[in-house]
Amino acid sequence: MKKEIQLVGLISAMLFANTLRADDFHNIQLHGEADFRYLHTDSDSQNNTDFSKFWEGGANRDLFRVNEAALTLQGRINWSWTGSITAKYGYDAKNPVDISEAVLLFKPVSTSPWRVNARLGSFFAPISLENTGIAWTSPYTLTSSAINSWVGEELKTFGGEATVAYHFENGDHADFFGAGFGNNDTAGTLLAFRGWRLHDYEATILDGFKLPNQAHIQSIFTKQALTTQPFVEVDGRAGYYTGFNLERPDGLKFRALYYDNMANPTIVENGQYGWHTRFGSAGLKIVLPFELTFIEQSMLGNTQMGGLVGKHAAVDVNFWAHSFLLSKKIIDGHRFSVRYDIFGTHKNDELVQNPNAENSSAWTVNYNWMLLKHHQLNFEVTTTTSNVTMRSLQNINPTQNETLWQMGYRVFF
Amino acid sequence: MQNQNKLFFLVLLVFSVNVSALTLSGTVTTTEGEPVFEAVITAVGTVKNKPVLSKAPRKMDQRHREFVSHILAIHVGESVVFPNSDNIQHHIYSFSPTNSFEIQLYKDIVPKPIVFDKSGVVVLGCNIHDWMVGYVYVTDAPYFTQTDAKGAWSLNLPADDYTLTLWYPHLDSTNNVQVQQIKLNTENPASIEQKVTLKTTARTGKPPAEDSQNPLY
Repeated sequence: MKKEIQLVGLISAMLFANTLRADDFHNIQLHGEADFRYLHTDSDSQNNTDFSKFWEGGANRDLFRVNEAALTLQGRINWSWTGSITAKYGYDAKNPVDISEAVLLFKPVSTSPWRVNARLGSFFAPISLENTGIAWTSPYTLTSSAINSWVGEELKTFGGEATVAYHFENGDHADFFGAGFGNNDTAGTLLAFRGWRLHDYEATILDGFKLPNQAHIQSIFTKQALTTQPFVEVDGRAGYYTGFNLERPDGLKFRALYYDNMANPTIVENGQYGWHTRFGSAGLKIVLPFELTFIEQSMLGNTQMGGLVGKHAAVDVNFWAHSFLLSKKIIDGHRFSVRYDIFGTHKNDELVQNPNAENSSAWTVNYNWMLLKHHQLNFEVTTTTSNVTMRSLQNINPTQNETLWQMGYRVFF
Repeated sequence: MQNQNKLFFLVLLVFSVNVSALTLSGTVTTTEGEPVFEAVITAVGTVKNKPVLSKAPRKMDQRHREFVSHILAIHVGESVVFPNSDNIQHHIYSFSPTNSFEIQLYKDIVPKPIVFDKSGVVVLGCNIHDWMVGYVYVTDAPYFTQTDAKGAWSLNLPADDYTLTLWYPHLDSTNNVQVQQIKLNTENPASIEQKVTLKTTARTGKPPAEDSQNPLY
C-alpha cells in the first residue's frame, strides 16, 4: 500500500515540477466526468456477498445515484513526455475518492518508420477495445463486457511498458509491446471465488472487494482475508505481459496479449494469497460501411492458489470469455449498440467445498445520445443467464436469469 | 484603315490566345457520384516546359486538430509553411524517404518554411494527435491543379499531347494514380469526366468521432 502511495506521489510531483519549468507548455488540463444513474433490476444480488452477475439488486431493486465522478489532470511536460493522473469517486467504493490511473507517457517523435514509446506508472494493460473514453468509459455501453469488467476490477499494471512500432506510409502500423509489473498478485481471486460479473466499476489503487459470504472461504483457507485487495505485491516477484497490435487507423485493429503475473500461489501475506494467473487475450475491431463498428474480444486463462491438493493447486480454475459488439452511429450524436457476452470458468482442482464452475451468457442493448458534445443520455438493458455451481452453497438453483435496466446521464468536460 | 488594323489585331489576339492556352477541364467523382476534393491532376506534354515556381511559400494550416489542406500539391523546389491556428501545440513530422523532417508548432508562432526539393508524396503526421494526416504531393510536372469541393478542375495548357495523371491518396489503384493520354488542340478541346473507385477504409485525418466524449483529445 505504501508503495502505491509513493508511486503516485512521485508521478504527481514530477508532473507538477516539470510543468512549472516548461514555460512553453501551459496546457495543464483538467477534465472529468460525472455519471448519474437510475437502475432497476430483478436480481437478488447482495453486492459482493453472493454469486450474482450484477452488483445491484436484492433489497435495492430501484436505485438513483451518483454512480461515478472522475477528474483527470493531464499535462504535457515537453515535446516527448506527457503525464496524467485520474482520481475518482465510485458509488459504494472502499475508498470514497482514490486514484485509478497515474501514468507518464514517453513518446518521442520519429522521422523513420520505427518508433518507440513507453508508459510508466499505474495503468490498464492494453486489453479492452471498448473503454477508450475519459476515465475508462466506453462510447458504446454503460455496462462493460465480462472481460473488461474483470479487467476493471482486478488488473492494473504498476510498472513500465515499452512499445516498438513499425509505421507504414499509408498509416498502418505494427506494434510490439512488453511490460514488467508488480502489485497484481491477487488477480484471479474474484473469478475463482465469485465468478464473472457485469458492471462498469474500475478498481482504484487502494481498492478492496468483499468476497462472497456463501463461499465459506475462511473455513477452507483460514489465512485468506474476507476482502481481496486487487493491487498488492505478495511474493516480491515481478509479472509481465507481452503482445502485439496491428492497426489500420479508422479501419482495423487486431491486438493479442499474453499475461503472467508470476505470482507464487503458496505465499500469503496480510490475508492476501498469491494467485498465479496467466491468460491470453485477443481483440479485433473493424470499422464497417454504414457507420457500423464491430468489436470482438476473447480471453482464455488459468488461475491457481494454494499448495498442491492431489495433482492440482488447492484452487485451480480455467476461465474463458468472448464478447461480440456491433454498434451503429445512427445520425450525429446517436448511437445504438448490441453486445453478446459468453463466459465461464472450469474447475480443475479437487476441493469439493469450493465448487467454482460457471457457464453464462449476456445480452446488452444500449442507445445513447450525445448532446452538445458534453452530455450523454443512455438507455440500456442487460440480461444474463448464468449457471454457477457455487450457488448450490446458497441452496438456490445454479441457473439464474437476471436483468438490469439503466438510464444514465453522463457529463464530460 | 485604323479601325481595320484594330480589328486585325483583335482577331490575332484572340487567335493567339486560342493557340497558346487551351482550357482543359474535368471533374473527378466516385463511381457513386460523390465529388472527390483536393485530388491532384498533373499534365506532362511532349514539349518540356519549365514550371513557374511560386516564390511565396505555400500554406498548410493546423486547424481544429486537422491539416488544412488535407492534400497540398506543389512543384519541386517550392516551399511550404506550416502555421498553427489552434491554441494547442502540434508536432508535425514526416518519415517519407523523399522528405523527412519534424517541426514543433507552438501556438501563434509561424515556423520557417520547409523546401521540398524531391518529387514524391510526403505523408505528414502529428506526434501529439495520432489521427492527423496530411499529404504534400511534390511534382516535377510543369502543370498541375487540384479539384475543388465539387470535384471540378481546369488547366490552361498549350496545344500538345499530354499524359494526365490523377493522384488521390485514397484511390483504389497501384500507387493511387490513374493515368490517361490526351491530345489537346483547337479542334479537340477537352472536358474529362473521371470516375474513380476509392478504398473502402481511408484515413480522413479528422478527430475520431467516437472519442468526441473524450476531451483529452
